[in-house]
Amino acid sequence: MKLIEKLLIDSSFNPSSHPNPSLWQESEHAYKIQFECMASNCSILIESKQLDLVKTAAKSAIIEAWRIEYKFSRYQTDNTFTKIHSNVDAIQKLDTETAQLMIFANHAYNASQGLFDITSGILRKVWKFDGSDNLPENSAVNELLTIVGWEKLGWNPNNPTELTLPSGMELDFGGIGKEYAVDKMLSICRQIFSKTTAAILINCGGDLACSGKRLNGESWKVGIESINDPTKATLIVALSSGALATSGDSRRFLMKDGIRYSHVLNPTTGWAMTDAPRSVTVGAPTCVNAGIVSTLALLKGPEAESFLASLDMDYWISN
Amino acid sequence: MITFISVKKPVVVGKDLEVVAVAVTKKTHNNRELAQLLAAASCALIGGISPIVNAADSWDVDSAFLLYSESDGRVSAAEPVISATKNYDEETKLTFKIAADTLTGASPNGATASDHVQIFTSPSGKSSYNATTGEQPLDDTFKDTRIALSSNWTAPIDRDWAYGVGGYLSKEHDYQSLGVNGSLTRYLNQKNTTLTLGLNLSNDTVNPEGGIPTGLIQVPLNNLGSEFTQRSDAENKNLIDAVFGVTQIINRKTIMQFNYALSTSSGYLTDPYKIISVIDDNAGTNYGGNFQSSGRDLYLYEKRPDSRLKQSIYWQTKYQFDNDDILDVSYRYMFDDWGVNSHTIDAKYRFRFDNQYLEPQLRWYTQSKADFYHRYLNSSDYTNADFASADYRLGDLDTYTLGLKYGYKFADETELYTRFSLYHQESSGDKGYGKLTSQELYPGLDAAMLILGYKF
Repeated sequence: MKLIEKLLIDSSFNPSSHPNPSLWQESEHAYKIQFECMASNCSILIESKQLDLVKTAAKSAIIEAWRIEYKFSRYQTDNTFTKIHSNVDAIQKLDTETAQLMIFANHAYNASQGLFDITSGILRKVWKFDGSDNLPENSAVNELLTIVGWEKLGWNPNNPTELTLPSGMELDFGGIGKEYAVDKMLSICRQIFSKTTAAILINCGGDLACSGKRLNGESWKVGIESINDPTKATLIVALSSGALATSGDSRRFLMKDGIRYSHVLNPTTGWAMTDAPRSVTVGAPTCVNAGIVSTLALLKGPEAESFLASLDMDYWISN
Repeated sequence: MITFISVKKPVVVGKDLEVVAVAVTKKTHNNRELAQLLAAASCALIGGISPIVNAADSWDVDSAFLLYSESDGRVSAAEPVISATKNYDEETKLTFKIAADTLTGASPNGATASDHVQIFTSPSGKSSYNATTGEQPLDDTFKDTRIALSSNWTAPIDRDWAYGVGGYLSKEHDYQSLGVNGSLTRYLNQKNTTLTLGLNLSNDTVNPEGGIPTGLIQVPLNNLGSEFTQRSDAENKNLIDAVFGVTQIINRKTIMQFNYALSTSSGYLTDPYKIISVIDDNAGTNYGGNFQSSGRDLYLYEKRPDSRLKQSIYWQTKYQFDNDDILDVSYRYMFDDWGVNSHTIDAKYRFRFDNQYLEPQLRWYTQSKADFYHRYLNSSDYTNADFASADYRLGDLDTYTLGLKYGYKFADETELYTRFSLYHQESSGDKGYGKLTSQELYPGLDAAMLILGYKF
């Protein structure tokens, strides 16, 4: 792999001050652009004969990813996320993109019968998945549960740009943000290459989406990380279109009395799942779709596999 | 120890992930609905991504406008051309092309200039036109509009073979052409070598103004002449072209092509609008002047053989420099059984800048005359001629083209280009005798061409 250049992106498009992406050439018409986003190592693979378009597409896609990352980040003081959370107990206007995410969260909440709930992120205040045996107090969990629950929001799908956020409640877009960014990046690249032939694969820390097969007609070979040794791929998935997303994190759990408490929290009980798979990978048309299904599978705990099997989607589980 | 307790499809090769089976069992009915709901919600969020949208699945359109103008008010032409290509994938494509051109102006009728005013019958025989003393005789009744349509489909057969088929139709008021073509391509050594066999068949119909004149017969005074009554309305000609080509990638920077082409035509190959002067070679005061017959200058309709076999070899090399500039050089040698042989050398150099390019071009063409080409016929033996043509395009000829093309590529990959070229033509041959020597028998020609095009 040959380094061609660093892609210079104007600082106004880089609000989180990431290092500049680097453009590599893997073979004559195959390029890889590496960059950081959402605490992941991300890459864009593009096969095209037109290097100028490769650069344009990569820059536009990365600018979009960084924009999404910044907009919904919990750690910024002047972004959309902060604006929403500093405006409580009053009707506020949401922008179109945020409203779209709310509509999606609403669908996911209803479809999962309350298991997928973007208001449950606040439970992390009492759950510290540091590998220790420190389980939270029941009372602390129950106290937080009073400010968890999608239905407590003053939000209605018929009027999705209006929100009244009860004091103390928190929206957590982290659960879909990365997959959303992957899909948006692919969409931008596709548009830029709409007049010419190209094969594109976007990868953000294992959540990925591709435009179709590679130029030589073969599928993309995606290695799914081993949960014990992240440097080793134990399963190769051939991806010829659509997206993959993986949920689960083997390094985030609590262990007490021989029971492994997964970092996935059931928003209805406030408690960690104890029999969930350690990792679930799902294939779907979009990365957002793959992500929501893999997350939902983890929330099904021991039922994860039968749940996935009943969906008739492609999936891979590791325990 | 890691175990994959469920690997439903261990390796999904060549199967589109979104095209999963849609069978719904009672037991899983609710979850199938859930999956569909989530899929729909996801698509709505991303803005309706269609997973089957292929980046290549769109039309590429090249529209161009061409202006051509010859010096001294001779032929000028305006031609809009639109070509549209739909790429289904890397190797499968469909192309349509439509061109319309309008030609106006005057073109040489073949007669020599003279020391007196010459009067010519128009091709239809309904009127006449003049050439003054010493002036090159030009037929200015000439005006034509042509529409041409063509279509081509190319697709792979398998990894090593591809084919193409196409059709062609062109129509102008006195000429129609209908053609079909096919090609077969074989790739060798990882597509570094490409062998192509192409075949083109065409059937053309000539239906000139006034009908088909009789070759080597005196041009009548007008359409009341008996020759007009013998004319047929139309004649046909058939063309078969076969090309065998080898394209070889020499290295990452160099590509080379060799072609051998064989072309046969048969039928009516004569130009119905061209005539030839008969010059008086009897000693006397009119020596070298126009020979008179039936009390007027004698001009004969030209006549060419009814078959022609052409062969050509062609070599082209393209080389890309380290700075992405491209040198494109080609050479063609053509020879036929009419005795014409020609050499063409064409060189282009493309300077590439970020999103612009500049391409100067230099082309030289030289041709030796056909066996039956005569600038004029002699009064003493014109009746012995089997074939004769004074068409400068069959004479000794050199042409030079100097061109410059400029293109600008926009960020959205559309391209604007323009090309300007200057064309110079020189003919040569026998200078005549007597009075004829003072006439300009081989006037040169200069022309300018401008193309403006936009690809999107």
